[in-house]
Amino acid sequence: MRLRPLSAAAGVVGVLFLFPVGYLLIRTVTLGTDFGDILLSRATVQPLANSLAIAGGTALLAGILGTALAFLINRTELPGRRVLRWVLALPLVIPSFVGATAVLAAFGPGALVGFVPRFQGFWGALAILTLLTYPYVYLPVLSRLTSTAASLEDAARLLGDSPQQAIRKVVFPQTRGAISAGMLLVFLYGLSDFGAVSLMRFDTITRVIFASQLSNRSVSLTLGLVLALVALAVAAVNRWLPARRPPIATTGTRQIRYSLGRATLPVLIGVLAVVGVSLVAPIAVFVIWIVRGSATVGVGYSGLGDSVGFLGAPILGSAAAAVLAALAAVIVTLPVAYGSARRRSVLTESAGAAVTSLFALPGLVIAISLAFWAIRAPQPLAGLYQTLPLLILGYVLHFGAQALGPAQAAISAVPDRFDEAARTLGAGWWRRFRTVELPLIRPGLLAGAGLVLLSTLKELPATLILAPIGYETLATRIWGAAEDGFYAEVGITSLVLIVLSALLTWPLLIRRQILS
Amino acid sequence: MSRPAIVRRTAALLLGLALVSTACSSGSDTLTVYSGRTENLIGPLLADFTEQTGVEVEVRYGNSADLALLISEEGDRTPADVFISQSPGAIGFLGEAGLLGTIDENVLELVDPSFRSSSGSWVGLSGRVRVLVYNEDLIDGPLPESVFELTSPDYEGRVGLAPANGSFQDFVTAMREVHGDDVTLAWLEGMEANDAQTYTNNTAIVQAVGRGEVPMGLVNHYYNFRAQLEDPAIASENHYFADGDIGSLLIATAAGVLDGSEAQAEADQLLAFLLGETAQTFFSEETLEYPLAAGVAASAALPPLDTLNAATYDFDRLGGGLERTRELIDASGLEAP
Repeated sequence: MRLRPLSAAAGVVGVLFLFPVGYLLIRTVTLGTDFGDILLSRATVQPLANSLAIAGGTALLAGILGTALAFLINRTELPGRRVLRWVLALPLVIPSFVGATAVLAAFGPGALVGFVPRFQGFWGALAILTLLTYPYVYLPVLSRLTSTAASLEDAARLLGDSPQQAIRKVVFPQTRGAISAGMLLVFLYGLSDFGAVSLMRFDTITRVIFASQLSNRSVSLTLGLVLALVALAVAAVNRWLPARRPPIATTGTRQIRYSLGRATLPVLIGVLAVVGVSLVAPIAVFVIWIVRGSATVGVGYSGLGDSVGFLGAPILGSAAAAVLAALAAVIVTLPVAYGSARRRSVLTESAGAAVTSLFALPGLVIAISLAFWAIRAPQPLAGLYQTLPLLILGYVLHFGAQALGPAQAAISAVPDRFDEAARTLGAGWWRRFRTVELPLIRPGLLAGAGLVLLSTLKELPATLILAPIGYETLATRIWGAAEDGFYAEVGITSLVLIVLSALLTWPLLIRRQILS
Repeated sequence: MSRPAIVRRTAALLLGLALVSTACSSGSDTLTVYSGRTENLIGPLLADFTEQTGVEVEVRYGNSADLALLISEEGDRTPADVFISQSPGAIGFLGEAGLLGTIDENVLELVDPSFRSSSGSWVGLSGRVRVLVYNEDLIDGPLPESVFELTSPDYEGRVGLAPANGSFQDFVTAMREVHGDDVTLAWLEGMEANDAQTYTNNTAIVQAVGRGEVPMGLVNHYYNFRAQLEDPAIASENHYFADGDIGSLLIATAAGVLDGSEAQAEADQLLAFLLGETAQTFFSEETLEYPLAAGVAASAALPPLDTLNAATYDFDRLGGGLERTRELIDASGLEAP
């Protein structure tokens, strides 16, 4: 059988995404690790079960919340939806340790709002992770809904269905792929998270990975490997599930909006509550930190007067890294998305699983593995160590899954007959891609780029380890300030991060057709 | 302007910005530092050093343990000349791995032997004392004289700890040095049996104590001073255990020179600068740590160094033995909340 160029490209991309796992394998084997001993120990089993529980629970809740929000914004006459559809994407940019610290300072006995229970343990971690990760579902589903025009619903309504029936029977099935892709991302994020779960005092496998990273390399590396294998397995199952009927292509751009009737007010209050806890509460806490700390700051660079000036370089650093990472992630994963959507094979699906699985590894593990490979690479590749291209590669490896899912869903939704028609007319592949497919899949590519962009803006460990020396981002600034309790500085930098993400996602998600 | 042109120009602009913001000097008079101390706590000093000596300093900031791990994977190809660590644990790890060279004798002698490695692989820069931070609204009785009292029923469920954190592990290693593994394990098990509340790090404990979530916690003294600066109304205060108690251990932040460094002389020069009067005064006055050299006095806000009995522990052995310390913490079951 001849290997098609597309499959070959997908395979190459898949191999690229296996390098971090290769590092974990090499290191565990050379250390003479006793895998069975580590895996079956009491110190592993419970944290691993906890990780799976929090990741699964968060995926379920974020799946429901993200889907509901996308339908409300896109298919109803919810008041304020124009602003809300943009604001609802923003919690994704708040680093989980900052979000958790802020929510702890906002809610619970002794906090700003003292009459509510404190967020802690499993339920606290579940709530915070859900509120910070539902955009992984919300954005792809919103993009899918936007591409689903009214023709199907018209037909259902003409045949006598109520609006609820039309949504359930006709529109919802169109978004199933986007929902499950988004939930997979949330699940993998839940596995990789350390910041929120550790502040909620919920013990997961990432705690064991970090606590033993110097004192017992075998344990740390083996558990990193376990996380990668769990993610690979989940991604593989997700891919090999019986292929659903592909979405039906709809024509036209007109969309139907349904009135919420008497439910308008309660629903609006619910949506505002989500924004309130996930975005407004952290922002309020940041403002309080700034006001309270500004009178007494004295050490280092934390003087509020210096803040605006000293944030200039981190703002540029964050913006450049995030935009480049978003573009690179979309381009690098495109062959896999294409191969998987058009010429599904064991090779393309394995590559897809490899791409997806890396989102479950803590960023530090990916960063250290890239350092391991880059510094041992032959020249001139070794010259890339701690340069911007390697940092971008780190982001692409970590976040490629976010670009892959929406791209694949979008490509699957383009009927083959368009491509065939163009081919019959004698158009070459590049022309067919550019003039026929690209305009149709652009919303999906932009949704993926938006997710990678927001994730990169808050990324920390890979940036600290792999960035060119002296390269600063807002996230590294926030980390530096938080590490030693400079809360006023955490506050102002976090506010700038939220504003920057709002500005960067505006043209990407709002001005283009994706959300309009 | 058509859309593709906008895209192209934006991309070119961003790439340009990225290159400008990464452009770094590559002169020979450049020292590369991996710093586990954050920029707020050392950046101004490194700028002073460059101004005084003309030696450029390029710094990679990060978590001490993460950077130690990075250096161990980089091995002899590491670009780092100097490693600055928040705790002896991380720098001791590199010392044991044979990745640190020997610091110049004249630099070593700037610091009392108790605050440097006996093999000359690292020197202490500043000191942090272990304390019991407590919420003054929730405590109205005498506070414990010794960290060993915390296993008594009076403190059941009332003490916060950070077992996964480097400074707690250094404290446990010191306890093993002084009291032996059996006593240490018994204390750890006693804390677990007494329902000690586990947190992820020092700042999380200080914030929790400030909110009244837990009445007291074991942390480094520094974090509560910082919390009080950020929020003068916070109800948390530091309590120092009585003279000589292991609970008041003084832990050094430390620096070492990488074995393969080609800028050994400049590295020693930097360490000497950090042990000089300017830097030690900065540590004392700005970051409220204990100065360890140049005859600089500790801030009046802190108990005098000689009441802490810190200088009797062998800090070189404190750096090593991290693996055994982790085994004891794991065995005690303290980790899982």
